[in-house]
Amino acid sequence: MRRVFAQMRKELTQIARDRLALVLALVLPLCLMLLLGNAVSLTVTGLPIVVQDLDSTPASRDFVDAFRASLTFHIVSWPSSRPPADAFLTNAARAALVIPEHFGRDMARGRNTEVQLLVDATDANTARLVQGYAGQIVSNYRPEAQPVKADIRLWFNPGRDSKKFYGPGVFVMGISMFPALLAALALSKEGEQKTILQVYVSSISAHEFLLGKILAFVAIALAEAFLSVILLFSYFGLSFAGDPSVFIVATVLYAFCVAAFGSFIGLAIPSQAAAIQAVALGGFLLTFLLSGLIFPVQNIPSGIRWVSSMVWARYYIEIVRDALLKGGGWPAMWWSVVRIAQIGTVFYVLGWRKLRRMQLSI
Amino acid sequence: MTRLIALIRKELGQIRRDKRVLASLIVPPTVQLLLFGFALNPTVDHLKMGVVDLDHSPQSRDLIANMTESGAFRLANTYFSTDQLGTAMGRGDLDAGMVIPYRFARDLERGRQPDVQILLNAMNANTAAIAQGYAQNVLRNWSQVYPQLDGLHAQYRPISANDVSRRGRVVMHPAFLFNPGLVTPWFIVTGTLGVLLMLNGSLIASAALVKEREAGTVEQLLMTPAGTGEIILAKITPLFLLLCLMILFATALIRVAFGVPFRGSFLLVLAGAMLCMLSGIGIGTFIATFSKSAQQAQLMAFFVNPPLASLSGALTPVEAMPQWMQPLTVLNPIRHFGIITRSVLLKGSGLMAVWPEMLALIAFTAVLLTLSVMRFRKQLG
Repeated sequence: MRRVFAQMRKELTQIARDRLALVLALVLPLCLMLLLGNAVSLTVTGLPIVVQDLDSTPASRDFVDAFRASLTFHIVSWPSSRPPADAFLTNAARAALVIPEHFGRDMARGRNTEVQLLVDATDANTARLVQGYAGQIVSNYRPEAQPVKADIRLWFNPGRDSKKFYGPGVFVMGISMFPALLAALALSKEGEQKTILQVYVSSISAHEFLLGKILAFVAIALAEAFLSVILLFSYFGLSFAGDPSVFIVATVLYAFCVAAFGSFIGLAIPSQAAAIQAVALGGFLLTFLLSGLIFPVQNIPSGIRWVSSMVWARYYIEIVRDALLKGGGWPAMWWSVVRIAQIGTVFYVLGWRKLRRMQLSI
Repeated sequence: MTRLIALIRKELGQIRRDKRVLASLIVPPTVQLLLFGFALNPTVDHLKMGVVDLDHSPQSRDLIANMTESGAFRLANTYFSTDQLGTAMGRGDLDAGMVIPYRFARDLERGRQPDVQILLNAMNANTAAIAQGYAQNVLRNWSQVYPQLDGLHAQYRPISANDVSRRGRVVMHPAFLFNPGLVTPWFIVTGTLGVLLMLNGSLIASAALVKEREAGTVEQLLMTPAGTGEIILAKITPLFLLLCLMILFATALIRVAFGVPFRGSFLLVLAGAMLCMLSGIGIGTFIATFSKSAQQAQLMAFFVNPPLASLSGALTPVEAMPQWMQPLTVLNPIRHFGIITRSVLLKGSGLMAVWPEMLALIAFTAVLLTLSVMRFRKQLG
């Protein structure tokens, strides 16, 4: 045990001396979180919309005002002589509302009136949002005229604040990427500079060496997690929705899992440049694409969805979102915690076998 | 001139023998375009919905059937009380819930306005917003169509709603232009194209420039009669030609694999792509002047690439970013290229519509390339 801690201390001292590594470990994740947590979002606001009011009566202006009042749209002027769809070609607007001539008359007579909404559908998701928002504005324009009233309640994130969804996701991305990157760099450096031979001839066993290294990076990951959680609680306005013990246990296990992954990569690839690429693939690409960070896992085609059940970040994202938004606690999340522990153990065993085989082959 | 050609031939020979470069021209575009195109899909469908039907009338059952057959929602379970529904949502078994009140059918027949409660898991703001729109659409359509239905159930007419007291409704007809089928990958794939050109251009360029320094052969090159400008030009030209092949390959891929329509002039897209790639090469050269080894250059890319890719509007719409962040995207070549590809390929816009973006790309290319070449030259000299 003493040797494990000595190994860990040596590793931490080495990192503390390397300024680039420190920045990578502690500063970059926070910057990334601020940047991506803000930038990554799909819910648009302030979309330019063109209104073509062929009626120009008080009733039609009243109707246009309902659109003007919404945060989603902002009305841009467009000459009435040009077809409204032309505004899409130059990207001057993303939607156009056409109000027909008889609008005011029909409203006064109690008839149903039709208006047309043209949507630039090059971005299909935004087009769907525009349709939904516009539909809500239209049905709220005369709520008493709707035969059935819909009372819609939004649970867990009533303000529909996308920062609260992506913030935790980006937190997971940072913690999956940087500790793993540092661990891989440290171990592949030993391989590249052949200092690992000194380890082989010393009395330290494979378990002690690997555990010492991993524990050092677990400590870094936990420090990073601590700083990030402060940011989540302050800037992103989140707090524990329920029992925090799931989150704490899962974070420690996840730190182990990530450090074990990085160490395994570093041992398997004794070249720093190649190791960075491998971590970028495993830590970044898989986390970014296949873990439900931005886009729901259910939407991944079934041909590659099975891959995501092996992506460790996926389970941790579920846990973090549950702890900070839903508060389902142990009954909802125990399986994800178990999966993280399983995957971490697999990486540890793989790394240990790699190390032992090399030790024996010399 | 002959010196330059000789140098270019030397670079080309080096690249031809390096199998890794050729692989890096084909593998990353394929993997990224296919993975991003298929996996990054914000479509909202088959949300698991739990239902509490307190009315048990033909009308309520018809509404449930309409709601859960719409493709957006799928009936996961029915519950007897709202408490059970709430716990199921908290556990994560359900994404949505619907509560139909007692007396739903009676209110409907008497022309009163019954309430239907819809609960949505709003953790993912985008899914919630779209699901909300869907739910309201289904309710609206159902209540328009239902009174005229003569199917299994007896036809009924609202008693009190005669023509005089009824107030007119506004009925909205949405029309989706340019992408009427709402194919989601078209947006992602056209954006990814720019990210791809930028990132691979910068990575390949920085790797090629750092390699010479790492191997210590820069001095040999400097001893030749060639000037520093010629050396750099000879380095960049073959890369440019190779990456042009990648552009052709990637555009062919998005045409074949995703069926993206090519409505406008392909030459315009090609010109934009070349400019975007040249600014990528400029960034790569710039990174190379700061790093001594391939490893450092790659770590440096970690600082540059995530902001470039995320602040581009390539994968998520620019309008979804906070107000203060949106002007920053103007400084990003990927954003301008994204606008060009989407306008030209999907909407069929011509040069008249996209000239500001073209101009911006030309400016970026000029500034980035001269800056990095100047820095590189200073280091060599």
